Amino acid sequence: MDSGNSKVLEAQRLYGRLETSIFARNFDSARAFLNQLKVKLTEFSGLPPLYRHTSTQVEELKLARSILEQAVLLSVGTEDQESFELHFLQLKPYYTDTRHLIPPSNFEYIMLGLNLLRLLVQNRIAEFHTELELLSPEALKNDCIKIVVELEQALMEGAYNHVLRSRKVPHDSYNYFINLLAKTVRDEIAGCSEKAYDFLTLDDAKTIFKFTRDQDLMTYISEEHPDWEIRNRCVYFQKVKDFSLCKEIPSLQLINQTLGYARELERIV
Amino acid sequence: MKEAAPAVSSPDRKDQAGPSLLSHLKSIAALVEKGVSTKEMRLMVRAVRNVMVIKRKLKPGSLAAFVKYVMSTDADSVLQFVKKQEEDKVSMEVDMPSQVSNKPNVLPELEILCYLLVLIYLHDQKQYKQAKACADAGIKRLQQLNRRTLDVLASRLYFYYSLSYECIDSLADIRGTLLSLHQTATLRHDELGQETLLNLLLRNYLHYNLYDQAEKLRSKSQRAESHANQQLCRYLFYLGKIRTIQLEYTDAKDSLMQAARKAPTIAHDFRIQCNKWAVIVRLLLGEIPERTTFMQRGMKAALRPYFELTNAVRIGDLELFKSVADNFSPIFSRDKTHNLIVRLRHNVIRTGLRNISISYSRISLADVAAKLHLSSDSAVSDAESMVAKAIRDGGIDAVIDHARGFMQSRETGDIYSTQEPQLAFHSRIAFCLNTYNDAVKALRFPPNAHKKELESAEKRRERQQQEQELAKHIAEEEDDDF
Repeated sequence: MDSGNSKVLEAQRLYGRLETSIFARNFDSARAFLNQLKVKLTEFSGLPPLYRHTSTQVEELKLARSILEQAVLLSVGTEDQESFELHFLQLKPYYTDTRHLIPPSNFEYIMLGLNLLRLLVQNRIAEFHTELELLSPEALKNDCIKIVVELEQALMEGAYNHVLRSRKVPHDSYNYFINLLAKTVRDEIAGCSEKAYDFLTLDDAKTIFKFTRDQDLMTYISEEHPDWEIRNRCVYFQKVKDFSLCKEIPSLQLINQTLGYARELERIV
Repeated sequence: MKEAAPAVSSPDRKDQAGPSLLSHLKSIAALVEKGVSTKEMRLMVRAVRNVMVIKRKLKPGSLAAFVKYVMSTDADSVLQFVKKQEEDKVSMEVDMPSQVSNKPNVLPELEILCYLLVLIYLHDQKQYKQAKACADAGIKRLQQLNRRTLDVLASRLYFYYSLSYECIDSLADIRGTLLSLHQTATLRHDELGQETLLNLLLRNYLHYNLYDQAEKLRSKSQRAESHANQQLCRYLFYLGKIRTIQLEYTDAKDSLMQAARKAPTIAHDFRIQCNKWAVIVRLLLGEIPERTTFMQRGMKAALRPYFELTNAVRIGDLELFKSVADNFSPIFSRDKTHNLIVRLRHNVIRTGLRNISISYSRISLADVAAKLHLSSDSAVSDAESMVAKAIRDGGIDAVIDHARGFMQSRETGDIYSTQEPQLAFHSRIAFCLNTYNDAVKALRFPPNAHKKELESAEKRRERQQQEQELAKHIAEEEDDDF
């Protein structure tokens, strides 16, 4: 039991250094600490999936949860979405299955909101809604989560101004994803404009695409949409208007279908 | 023993249905025995169905008498069980099955039947704690057995096992057991048990909104063609729910509508649930359910909030939609449809836009914003981007003129100059043909019926021969006459 205690203490000490180095945005050393901590975590038997009731289980669970939370923040700091997903999935059981063992974490809603935001940025809407179903009504009222839910709604509706306006974030770590989202939104706007307008003047396009400088707009168009045409300070969108009027009778298809009917009818009669 | 005797008969006398109920139970037991000896699944199904018929009438007295009857060969355990009854009727019921399991001579099927009867009784009496204990004992006994003739009874027992845990709100505890039972059923090709357990597991996951796990299990487990209609209905319902959450609305609609259609009329609440979800999914798809959906007998009151909601979406009025969502929010939260309704806001806007684009060939964006009740500082530019998105998604067919700030609807082409009507016609024909083919496949014939048919064909030939001869005779006679 003593050895368990000393292990926890040692890990806690290391965790303190991890936290400070992440806070100081010293990511390289943070990553090194994290790797050491992960090895230490494997020695704790009170953690999922074993959940062994040891004397230090509560401490172990709390510590492991904090470590993983920091790991998620570290992933945001290093802008590594894959490691974010990995660490969040490891963290998730601590929020769902250990409720009866340890008190909820202060970071819980921030983490959940971050994850939702990530799914939104990656356009994994089905998973976004699956995650959303798991949240309690209280969680949905929390600012960290509410902001993401509103963002999703605005995106669905096409109220892009609203998305870009929401710069008030509940936690610094949200900024990374919000910035990514701005890019996604711009692509969305471009896709919509292509279909909805015949042409736009460059000035209008600049405001609609939320660019501040002409130069940015020009580089954006030449990089992302080289098929758009720029004449007389106007952007002309290439329209592929396929009014597929049925000029020819699709005879082969019709013959096939009719033969199919004949075969079926023969079976019936 | 002398003391025990009146204890058995007294409850019997109390309820008039006692003796006839006992004979009912005995006939069920006889059915089970016959089913086991002939290995005929249908007899077992019929036995279980008969149990369901009398389940409301179960009385402790006759139940006790029945268990005694089943175990008639072993006096000792009966004695114990009867003595217990004196002390406490209910605790007796729980202890009884453990007595049964010690008996070697009794058919395991009858044992399980006893568990099932007691479990149903306890559940109907709302003795959930005891029901749970009884279910545990029954499942434990079941796990020791491996007989195909048990499958039908076992699947009912699984169902009540899960139900009794649900009633004490600890469904999460049995997930492991259910999974291992499902595994066993799959390995033994017990298809009925397999589909029952799969449904129970899905229900288990969905109870805690674990849609992800449910979908993973569902997509990875093998599923043979359904044996029981109820299980199919449930499966379709769960499938529909999962797909709704994962935004596969078209498939979800199919599953939910099918579940609602296939469910027996007696499963009233189930059909209401199906209809609620189906309504939302159809709204999310941009369809407006017919008025008759909400006017089905006995569902009017339950579907009222959804009716109001449909109305709001149909008109495309955001204000009305908001007030409906707020008014009925406790109901929607209870139905776990709250998040779906949040998603619907987008559809309200879409319908509103569509109505506008149909009514006006040209309208200013400011008017669009006013009609949609958009009330922010940048309402006009919001409206513009919404219209743009609607155009891209194909919701409306229009062009925006940014400089002059209006949206102009495009001329709609003549639908009959496209292939659309032909495709619709084809899909309808294909549906009818499929229905016919499915109906033919579902026909059932009694065994050996075809042999009789054959014999009668031979006879017919004989008869025809005789008739022909007779005709010849007559003809000859007629010839003679001339």
